[in-house]
This record gives sequence, structure tokens and C-alpha cells, in this order.
Amino acid sequence: MPEAARPLCLDIKGLTKRFGGFYALNGLDMAVATNHIHALIGPNGAGKTTFFNLITGVLPADDGTITFEDRTLDDARPSRRTLRGIARTFQNIRLFPHLTVLETVMIGEHCRAYPSVWRALGAAVLRRPFAQVGAERRMRDNAMELLGFLGLAGQHDEKASNLPYGDQRKLEMARALATQPRLLLLDEPAAGLNPHETEELDAVITRIRDRGVTIVLVEHDMNLVMGISDRVTVLNFGTRIADGTPAQIQADPAVIEAYLGEDAAP
Amino acid sequence: MIYQQLINGLMLGASYSLVAIGYTLIFGVLNLLYFAHGEVFMVGAFAGLYLVVYGGANIYVAMLGAMIACGVLGVIAVYVSVRPVPKDRPLAPLISTIGLTIVLQNLAVYIFGGQQVAFPETIKQQLYQLGPVTMSSVQIFILGVAVTLMAALWLFIERSKMGRAIRATAESHETAALLGVDVNRVVLVTFALGSGIAGIAGVLDGVKNSGISPFMGLAAAVKGLVVMLLGGLGNVVGAMLAGLLLGMIEILSAAYIGTTERDLASFLILILILLYRPTGLFGTRTADER
Amino acid sequence: MLHALFDGYTRSILVFTGVNIIAAYSFYAPFKTGQVSLGQAGFMAVGAYASAIMTQKFGVPFALAFPFGGLVAGIIGVLVGFPALRIKGIYLLLLTLAFAEIVQVVALSWDFAGGAQGFRQIPFNPSILEYVVGAIVVLILFFARLERSSLGRAMDAIHQDETAAEVMGVDVVRIKLLAFGLGAVIAGLAGALYAHHATYVDSSTFNIMVAVEILMFVVVGGSSTYWGPLLGAGFLTLLPEFLRTLRDWLELVPVAWTNFFPMNRVYDFLHDALDFENAKRLIVYGIIIIVMMILRPDGLLTRDALRRWRWTARHA
Repeated sequence: MPEAARPLCLDIKGLTKRFGGFYALNGLDMAVATNHIHALIGPNGAGKTTFFNLITGVLPADDGTITFEDRTLDDARPSRRTLRGIARTFQNIRLFPHLTVLETVMIGEHCRAYPSVWRALGAAVLRRPFAQVGAERRMRDNAMELLGFLGLAGQHDEKASNLPYGDQRKLEMARALATQPRLLLLDEPAAGLNPHETEELDAVITRIRDRGVTIVLVEHDMNLVMGISDRVTVLNFGTRIADGTPAQIQADPAVIEAYLGEDAAP
Repeated sequence: MIYQQLINGLMLGASYSLVAIGYTLIFGVLNLLYFAHGEVFMVGAFAGLYLVVYGGANIYVAMLGAMIACGVLGVIAVYVSVRPVPKDRPLAPLISTIGLTIVLQNLAVYIFGGQQVAFPETIKQQLYQLGPVTMSSVQIFILGVAVTLMAALWLFIERSKMGRAIRATAESHETAALLGVDVNRVVLVTFALGSGIAGIAGVLDGVKNSGISPFMGLAAAVKGLVVMLLGGLGNVVGAMLAGLLLGMIEILSAAYIGTTERDLASFLILILILLYRPTGLFGTRTADER
Repeated sequence: MLHALFDGYTRSILVFTGVNIIAAYSFYAPFKTGQVSLGQAGFMAVGAYASAIMTQKFGVPFALAFPFGGLVAGIIGVLVGFPALRIKGIYLLLLTLAFAEIVQVVALSWDFAGGAQGFRQIPFNPSILEYVVGAIVVLILFFARLERSSLGRAMDAIHQDETAAEVMGVDVVRIKLLAFGLGAVIAGLAGALYAHHATYVDSSTFNIMVAVEILMFVVVGGSSTYWGPLLGAGFLTLLPEFLRTLRDWLELVPVAWTNFFPMNRVYDFLHDALDFENAKRLIVYGIIIIVMMILRPDGLLTRDALRRWRWTARHA
């Protein structure tokens, strides 16, 4: 079956994170297939943002293993993990307050253009006429292409903090995409968006997947989640209570019980 | 012999504590490094000197006068260099207090000259024997005043209405305001209180060293910072205890290692605390952990 | 060359202003990544002592001792920079301050370098002003290029949101260390230059007031552009000098204008008031600093102001 033959992008076994006596994540197992859109859902406080923080290396795990593209993911520094091909957006948007839209995306490009600090310094200072201008122009072109892809090209000179909320969310995605990830983690990308913008988001996420990126999505908007995902994992109090296709999840009694009292109607 | 050193250490430490109290109170309430606080200490010493030399006052009046003068100075500082500066700009409030430091220091130089000035004797020198320890009247006086001040301050912060208001403001300006606290007034009181105590500390220092100079503020400023961190930012009791502790550590290292090394000891301790226990020995008391 | 243009006193003023400008840039480098360091005075001391030891004790020519001072300061800078990586805000301020104070204590007790007596008879170098000007030109070019480069942008990103930058793949650790070490090198060079003009340094030459003033230069000049350190250090160093000469200007007013009442009273009052011996000058200096923070807390030149200026220049 094509499903089983497809290699795994992200394989998580027994992932655990404690804060004092409280388990944010308790022995989570999760397998994300390559080029899938995989959603992680669950009531608030279920541990979803912690999950992202562990994958990106912002927080260290207490137990469990994370395997990314068949190699263990245990780099201590987040920037190393990004170089390996993992990018993310933030739930409460974390843009650089004083940079322009274009500059923001170019930050994402930096790690690919200049993986070595000394190269970066040399490029900054020596500015050998044709070579470096070329590199800078290439970065700029890539950035503009990404902005165009997300419909922000016209605002490239605007200060990022001046953008309307929906565009800021798009900018976060453009910035993450600039790092050329193979795995993109989206933390509640639909939060605060109106229905029209959410539809747009649906299309954008699909287009990103079509470019070959694997996507893990944390989201509360069930319409979006069930409509777009290939697979859904449900988290409650840090443990997995269900895992399957959207149809399977919607019929799962454990899931319905966990969401009792919450607006789960598709 | 060691008891003698401990007493000296406590005396030095008491001075540090009194200065650090103001620092940490102000930092707790405003998240501001009030760099000019060292100069307030110096102003207190000179105010006391002035009262004794030109007003013929006794030491108690001198201390009271210094406290009032410095308290007023604290209030003026708020209106002139703290309130008008926008707080959301990085570092601008700190620079403003640095400007104030320069003004105060040079004001003192202008009025009193740049040399050390002798602080007249105000307490009859007498020696007392307490068990294995010999203490002079000066030492007893200084320690007595310091301890009384710290105890009074502690009672004020813990038991009085204004003390509660100060503690609430240190936690969060917004919550305090919602509870009906006049945050601006609290800031003024905090400055006045901290400055007043520093003023008394200045006079005590003059009594102890029999000499003061317009440049004594800088060293006090630096030591005050160290003690503030050691005790935990915003933690008043922490500052009191940390000051005494640091004083004793310094005197003991001076006695058993060497005098120049004594400053080295305090800065090494500072670095260790910064690296391994930045919340200080006794924990911080501010809402924003910066 | 520049020799002939200025007399000794003016030369000294210019050298001190230049040294301050270089010191301001030494603060600017780590500040670009958000690291506020009060330790630059300590690195200046390291550079001063290291280079002076080379020239006075070992007869090394200044041209070699100068970069040596910077190098030693830079190495120590990287060493201090490591623990500084995980500390922010006031804690970093205090750590770097502690470093500067420790350097002072070491200088005080190191008898080989003069100890409490200070390091005397450092060989005077007559071309310090030329070195200073050269260094400033290089620094401005460097920071101008850095500003427009990807590395410069990365540094700004680290300053604005370090975690977000790290997650976007920016090598925060190496860049911060680079910036901090660079700042130390620049400070060391400034110290070496000062030492070989003043010919005397001791443990109190690079004290906490110096450390704090360096911070002041950059904030007053405007910390968001690379002209800030130049403007701030230049303005604040020359201000006391300017105040000193105000009275001379007053005396240029023709006598006929002030012979009568009330102008003669005004003149007398100003003449007395402007009698700026040291302390009075500095009081005014301090007041001006406070006023500046009230009126222009972002500094003399802000990024927006610069952008507007450039825009008008291009579209005029």
C-alpha cells in the first residue's frame, strides 16, 4: 500500500516533558509521513505548543526520542535543527518589530546563504564586487518570490509591525519557508482569521505541501483541520487519545468525549 | 580576634545594606537602575557635615537633617529626571540617572572642593567590653542606628498600608492600580524613603571614617549594585542580609588574604551569583524577570 | 601631516574625542545584537596595558603593539563573552561591570605594570591623532557595510527577538560571540591609543564613570544607526570644551552694546555665570544629558530620521 511504503518524515516515540509535577507531554507516540499534512489537535493546555518547542529544540525533552528523516534529532541548539530542515511559525506572532517585510523574510534566508559566521562577516565587509552582490540579489529574489507566493509582494517595504493581522501571519509563514524547510510546523495559523482569510490559508497550506514540504499543524479550527489534513493526532492532558484519518477521528468516541462542552461540530 | 573582624564586617555591611535598600526598593517598583543613588548617599554625608559644622547640631539632628534633605532630593529626582523620561525607550531612563549622577557629584565638588573633608567628631569615644569583644561607642552607635533603621523599614514594608502598596506596585503596576493604589505616589514615597535611608547611611559613613569626599558616591553605587543582586532584585530583606554578608566577607578576605583582594572577592561572588543563581541568594521580588 | 594643523592642546582634545568615538563603537558592536556591556572600559584597560607593556618593557614599535593590544583584549572578550551568552538585561550589565571592576583591581595590584603607582612613562607616539582618524574612518566604513549586509540584519533580528531569530536558523551563539569579541578588540585598540598619547595610565583611568559614559555616548548619539556612536561621543566630549569657550564668545560682544542699563547687568550676569571652571561645566553637562533624555530619548539621530533625510535627498 502506498501509505506504508512512504517513508516517515518525523517519528516520535515516548516523548515526555514535565514542568515541576505537571506533565505537559506524557509518552507521546506520533508518526508523520513525508509530504503529509498532519494535524495535532486537543483541548487547550493539552501540550501542543510544548510539542513544537520540543521539536524545534527550544525546550529539552525529559524522555523519548525524536527521529527526523531517519536520523535522531537531538541537536542542542534550535538553529541547528532549522539547518536540518525544520521551521515553524508562532502561535502569538513573533515578528521582528523594526524590520521591513522583505528584511524579515531575508532573515530566514540567512542561514542558507551564510551557514558560516565568518563567511557572513567576510561578505559584509569585503563585498567583492560581483560575487557578493550576486548572493545578496539572489536572497532578495528568493524572498520576493516567497512574498509573491503568499500575496505580500506589494508590501515588501512596509514595516512588519504595520501590517494587518492576517498579513502578519502570512509573513511568519514566508519567513519560515525562506529557511527551505522540509518540515514546517504551523502553530495555530488560523487564530484570529475571518472565514475568508481561513479559506485563503487552506489554499496556501495546500500549495506549500505541493512544493514538497511536510506540514504539522496545531489548530483549533475543526473545519480547517478536517478539511485539509491527511492524518490527525488527538492529544489530551499530554497523552495521545486517538490517531487516524479525519473521518476516523470524527467518529472516535474518546475524541468526542474529550471535546464534550467544546465546539467540535464540523 | 575574629570577633573583632566580624564586628568590622557588620559595620561595613550595614553601610552596604542601607544603600542597597534604596536601590532595590526603586528597582522593584520601577525596574530602573537608579545609578544616582550613590550620590544621594554622598549628599547625605555632606548634609550631615554641614549641619554639624555650621549648625552646631548633634549627631541625631544631623542624621535627621540628612534624611530629610535626601528624601527631598529623592522627590526632586523623580520629577526632574525620572518621570519626564519615556520608559519604553531602551536605556534612556538609566542615562538620565547618569546625568543626575554627574550633576550631583560636580555640585558637591563645586561647593566643597574636590578634596576629602574631615567629618568632625560627634560621639564621645569610649570603649566597651562585651564578652570577648571590645567595641567602641562609635561602632555601637552605627550598628544600633543601622539595625533600628532596618527593623523600622521592615515593619513599614510588611505592616503599613503604604508598605503594602509598595509591594503591590513592585509586583505589577496594573494590578496595583486596579486595587486603587496611586502608583505615582508610591514611586515618590519609594524614592523618598530609599534616599532618606541612604542619607543617614552617608552620615554614618562620615562618622565611621572621619572623612568624606564628593567622590564617595561612586564606590557606594557599585557596591550597592552588587548587594542588590546578591540579595535578589527588589528584595528588601534580601538586600539587608546580603549587605551584612558581603561586608563580613570583604573584611575577612582583607584580613586573611589582602586588602586589594577584598574588592576582588565581592566581584567574583557577583559573577558567580550572576552565572549560577541570578535570582540572588534570597530570590527576586519583581514581576518582570529581566 | 595633521601635525601641523593643530597646536598641542587642540591635538589632545581631538585625540580624546577620537578615542571616545572609538570606545563608543566598541559598545555599539555587541549592542547591535542586544548585548549591553558596561565592560568596555575594562577592555580598554586591557588594550592599554598590553600595548604599553610591549612598547615600554620590550621596545616593540607602536605599530605592532597597537594591534597586539586589540588582540589581547579580543581574546579576553571572547572568554567573557561565553558566560555572557545566556545572560540578558540588567544581569549582563552587572556581569560586564564586574569584569571592568576586576580589571581595575588587577591593574592596582600588578606591580609589573606599575601597581598602585600606575604605569608611567609610556613612550609617547606623535602620530596618535593620525591613527585615531584612520581607525574612525575604518570603523565607519565597517559598520556602514555591516548595516546593509545579511549579517547586520541577522544581528538586528537577534536584538529584536533572540529566540525567534534562533528558530529561524540564525547562529545566535556564534554571532553574539563575534559581536562581543569585536567590541572588545575595538575597545582594546582605543585603550592602546589613549595610553600612547597620555603616556600614563593607572587603575582608575578606565573606571566605572568611563564605562558608563561610553554607554551614554551611544544612547545619546542614537543607538539605531551607525552614526550614533560618532555623533554621541563627539557631541558629549566636545560639549564641555564648547561650554568653556562660551565666555570667550561673550567677550566678543561690542562694548557699546552693553554699556547701558539693563544690558550691562545682563552682561555682568552672563559673564559671571559662564565662568565655567571644571565642576560648573560638568554640572551643565549633566543637566544637558538629562534634558536630552527627556526631549530626545532615542538619541540625536534615529533610524527613521536618517531614512527621511535620505528620502528627501533622493527626491529633492
